[in-house]
Order: sequence, then structure tokens, then C-alpha cells
Amino acid sequence: MIKISCQEQLLPGQTLPEKFAFARSAGYDGIELRARGDFAFRDRLPELRRAAREGVIMPSVCVDMAHFLGAFDAGLRRDAVAQLKSQLSVIAEVGGPGAVACTPAAWGMFSRRLPPFEPPRSEEEDRAVLLDGLAELGRHAAREGATLVLEPLNRYEDHMVNRLEQAVGLVAEVGLASVRVLADTYHMNIEEDEPSSALVEAAAWLGHVQVSDSNRFQPGAGHLDWAALLGTLDAVGYDGYLALECRLRGEPAAAVAAVPGFLRRHDVSVPV
Amino acid sequence: MTMTMTSGAAQRPAVFGDVDRAARRVLATNWRRCATVPAAGLYPHQWSWDSAFIAIGLRHLSPVRAQRELESLFGAQWRDGRVPHIVFDPHVDPDAYFPGPSFWRSASAPGAPAVPTSGIVQPPAHALAAWLTYRADPAAARARGFLPRIYPRLVAWHRYLTARRDLTGAGLVAFVHPWESGMDNSPAWDAPLARITPAPTGDFTRRDLHHAAAAERPTDEDYGRYVRLARDYRDAGYADSLRVHAFAVEDPLGNALLAAGEDALAAMATELGRDPRPHLAAAERLSAALVSTLYDPAAGMFFPRDAHTGALIRSGSVGGLLPLIVPGLPVAAALIATARGDRFRLGQACPLPSYDLTAADHDPGRYWRGPGWINTSWLFWHGLRLHGETALADDLRRRLLERVRAAGFREYLDPLTGAGHGADDFSWTAALTLDLLRAA
Repeated sequence: MIKISCQEQLLPGQTLPEKFAFARSAGYDGIELRARGDFAFRDRLPELRRAAREGVIMPSVCVDMAHFLGAFDAGLRRDAVAQLKSQLSVIAEVGGPGAVACTPAAWGMFSRRLPPFEPPRSEEEDRAVLLDGLAELGRHAAREGATLVLEPLNRYEDHMVNRLEQAVGLVAEVGLASVRVLADTYHMNIEEDEPSSALVEAAAWLGHVQVSDSNRFQPGAGHLDWAALLGTLDAVGYDGYLALECRLRGEPAAAVAAVPGFLRRHDVSVPV
Repeated sequence: MTMTMTSGAAQRPAVFGDVDRAARRVLATNWRRCATVPAAGLYPHQWSWDSAFIAIGLRHLSPVRAQRELESLFGAQWRDGRVPHIVFDPHVDPDAYFPGPSFWRSASAPGAPAVPTSGIVQPPAHALAAWLTYRADPAAARARGFLPRIYPRLVAWHRYLTARRDLTGAGLVAFVHPWESGMDNSPAWDAPLARITPAPTGDFTRRDLHHAAAAERPTDEDYGRYVRLARDYRDAGYADSLRVHAFAVEDPLGNALLAAGEDALAAMATELGRDPRPHLAAAERLSAALVSTLYDPAAGMFFPRDAHTGALIRSGSVGGLLPLIVPGLPVAAALIATARGDRFRLGQACPLPSYDLTAADHDPGRYWRGPGWINTSWLFWHGLRLHGETALADDLRRRLLERVRAAGFREYLDPLTGAGHGADDFSWTAALTLDLLRAA
């Protein structure tokens, strides 16, 4: 059986327990939190602890900031690493075993497909910066008992890590079990030759999966082959969450509520 | 992937859950953008009847992908309706498989598609596969217009076979190369093949021996004959006549698949609001011709017929049992009795041996001369269910799954010991295993 979580901002309700009640009734298993900068996520600890005590399942957190560990500016990089460390510590506390914190290399900083086309930093320097940041975060994650996952984004949103194999290359070089790869079906649909084949190749490195359809709307709104994707994820032994991160087509609450049913309809694994 | 043996019945579902997952992993791994390779090393392109059996299992992983498997094959259909036995992947080294694109030279044949293909065919399992694929998710199929697009191509394919390949006028289709039969190295082909002068071994370089043990593959001399036949066909512009084809056999399996395929086409025609009767009539004609021409009541099975001599080739191939897949076949009970007898030992030997276990030259490890394949066993299982033999079908299904669980997804298996042979992670073994698992 697949496990499905939903990002918190997509769920109706004022509090995490309210959101979780809605999520459970729709068939979700957990909530993916979002973490802003300036240690805002750490400052939510009282709220998060209370929610955890009340039984809210929060297995992962997704970074929600304007700068990232691959930033061109050294000061912003340092801050991004500090924020992610804090996010790892918080999610390790409230997320339970196997808690995950997500980050891309960068988002919205540079695209080789848009002017001025040539980034101010060489590929070798990009790589060195990312390896440094991932290693530091990986050591911290290992100490905290959490996992950091690196998310490839499509070419219009990031110029450094676009495909799973690029993320696998970095993660393999870091060589820490606490650093894994995040597969996002929307970005994969743009960048991978064949999304399901990429999942097979990256299987041993896969730490988290985010789902949205080919058009960034909820699964079912676009043209992805969900049966093939979910059947492959199960076949390669992925047993983590599918976290819904998307925009919503249609009436928002109804759209969110329909996703678990849709995904489970395309779950071809055999109940054992 | 590990598939451990266990005798605990309570653990069985979990264990078969692992087999199910492993089967899907093989199919996901062997998928190449629009089709599935039979095996990553030995067979790196798309094979015609492999794709049919693969689609039957792939429909459980992704109905849309199963549709694409068949669509991509029929996208390489020739204008005369033939469906080539190999569609070459332009991304793969042209020398990775022999005979490759430079041997077949499809580009210079009239009516060949833009993508390079071979010029011979394989058994027509496609209509049956297309119908099963459609039924897996009719809504997805309708959204993609699967049936309206695949049906006319299947009709053209069957028309090629019935019009161009009825070389004797008996109303049966002839295969003109051992490779066309799907049972490449069957002892049944020894006699008609002996008439062929082999191409000198210096004329070609085999690639199959890089991936498989020579003792399990055809001999060099037979390979020379295969090359000779294919070259003569090519040099005749892929024209079909007894004058061109030094080797021509009317084969029970190929004709049975065609008859069963006409039945599937009738179902598709009904679904599309067209007249199913021409297909039902064709199925009846083929069935009658099969029984009157290729059935031997004394042997209790079908035999191939040499189109040049008109004589039956009394060689006990599993293909002689497979007309069981023809709906309404009048001799089904006799075929089942033969399968349960000493020659095939249904209920003990598994998979069903490709060749008579009592024959002096039965070889349990050599290609199509003794070992069992999952696809022929799947067809027999399908036939058993078709003719209401549920208990026998369930027993065969259970034995096949046990064999695969122990040996993995091998290309073929020793029917007595279960030892695996040939390629590993073989796509149709995985696909049909998935179908058997889901048939519970």
C-alpha cells in the first residue's frame, strides 16, 4: 500500500489537527510541512509538538525560502545551510523515524534557458558548492536521525540539478546514508527521457517522492502515466511517502480530497 | 531482488507479492521509451511476438503502456500488412544483434516503414494481446482511441498472412523461416532445413553466443541455414511464393494463434460497432483447416506440414498442443489427454516441455529441443480455461509460479528440474508471470 501525504497549505483548516482530520478523511496518511526562512520553522516548535502529541503525522518538511544551499552568494548559502540544519533538527523531533527534509540546489536563481543564459559560476564550482553543503547537512542529518533529500528541478527553475542521475551523482559522492534523492513527478516529466526508467536507475538512492501531474496540477489533471509510475515505485521497493505538492485545478478542497482515491486507483501493487 | 523458497502456506501471499514486485521491476527496467526489449543484453530491440506476450502482462503495470507496446510494433507494419519480427532501435549499436539492419535492408524493400526492421514475421499473437490489453482498462483505451487505431492494422496483418502466406491453398498460413515459428530450433524443422545449403560461416558473425552458452544455442551449421534462408528472401524483395521459399511449413501454433486472433477481432469489431461475422467465419475456416490438415488422431496432437512435400512432420512439439487456444476446437479433449500423457507430462513437467519428453533426441537444456517456455505454457493454461478445465489450469498456474519463484525470470527452464536457462530478466517470463499472479 502506498503512503500519501499532503503539503499543509493545500489542506483546509486553521490548525494542523484540523488539517489532519480533513486529510485523514480524504485518505491521506500524513502532512508535509513547509518551512520558511529566518528560523520560522523552529519558531513553530510549540505548535508542531502539540500537533504531534495530538497524533498528527508529519513525516517530512519542504523548504519554502528565497535562497538555497547552491546560492551564488556565500552569505546566502551559509544562511540556507543554517536554516536547513534547523529544519532537519525540528523534523527529526516531530516527524518520527525516517523524517525527511527537502531542498533543491536552488530555485529561481538561474536558468540556462533564459537570458543571460550563461551562469556567473562554472559547473565545477557549482558542484563543489553543492558537495560542501550536502556533506555538512548530511552529517547534521545523521546526528539528528533525519534524512536530507536533494530535489532536481526542471531547467527553467534551476540550472544545476535537473535530472535524478545528476542528484544521484552528487549524493553518491557525498557518501552519507543521510543524504538521498527526491523524485518530483512534475520535474521528471520535463527532464527525464522516461520517468519510470529514471526511477529504476535511481532506486537505491531514492529518499522521497513528490507528486503532481504534467501541468503542475494535482495527479489526474494532466497526462502522466500514474499506473506506470506507481507500479514502478512499488516494484523498485520504494516504501516512503508520496507527498502532494501542486497547484489545484477545480474547487480546492474537492481537488485535494480526490487525490488519494485517484492515486490508489493506479496503485498496482498486490496487497500482501 | 531475492526470491526465497518457503514451504509455509501462510507466507505464500507475501512471497508471491515479492515475485509480483520483481516481475514489475523487470518490465520497468526493460522498457525503452515506446516498447519493451525481450532481454537487455541478448535481445536489445523490439520483437514481434514478444511484444504481444509482454503486453498481456504489461497491462497490469500500465494499461496505457501495454497499448503503446502494441502501437509501436504496428507503427512499423509494412504496407503489405506484414508485422516484422524485429523493429530495430536506432539508439542501439546496429552490430549489437545479428542479423541487424544492414542484413535485412528493409529501407530498400517496397512498403517498408522508415524505421529499420527485419523482413520475416513471427506468430500472430497480437490480436489476442490487443483484446486483453483493451479489456484491462477500456476507459483509458477509449480515451486514446486504441481500438479504432489498432483494429484496422490487425486486420491488415491477418490479411497479409491469409492472402500472401497461404502457399499451398489449404487455407493455412505458412512460415518460411524457422525464426518465424517462434520455435527457432525445433526438431520439427530439422528435415525441411536439411534441404537448405548453409551460408558459409565466414559470411556472418553471430552475436547470440556473446550472451548465452553455445551448448544451449543452435549449431553453427543450422545458423548458416537460417542466414541462407533470410538472405534469399531478402534478395527476392521479400516476395512470397513457394519458388522463393525453400523452407515453408504450415505450423499448428501459428495457425491456432491466427484463429484465436480472428475470434479476438470479432470481439473488437462488435465493440467498435462493426460486423464481427467475417472474423467469426475466418476463425471457423482456420479451425476447420487446422483439424482437417494438421491433426493426427492417432497421435492425439497436431503436426506441422511441409508445404513443399505436403507431408506432416511427425515431431512432437508443444506447438502441436497449442490449438487448444482455439475457441470451440473439436479435439480439445484429445489434446489435453496427450498433454497429460508421457510425452508432455502435464501436472509433473513444468513449464510444458517444448518437445516430446520420450523422444530419443529430447534435450532439456537446448533451445526449443526440450526445455519449457512460459509463453507456450501460458497459452496452454489459457486454452485449458477456455475449454472449462479449471482444475488443470489452476494446477498449471500454481506450478508455473513456483518454478519462476525458484528460478527467476529466465528465458526457458528445464521442465523436470526447473533449472533456468538462456537470458535472465526475460520480459515475457516476467509479463506472463504477472498475468498469472493477477489471474487468481
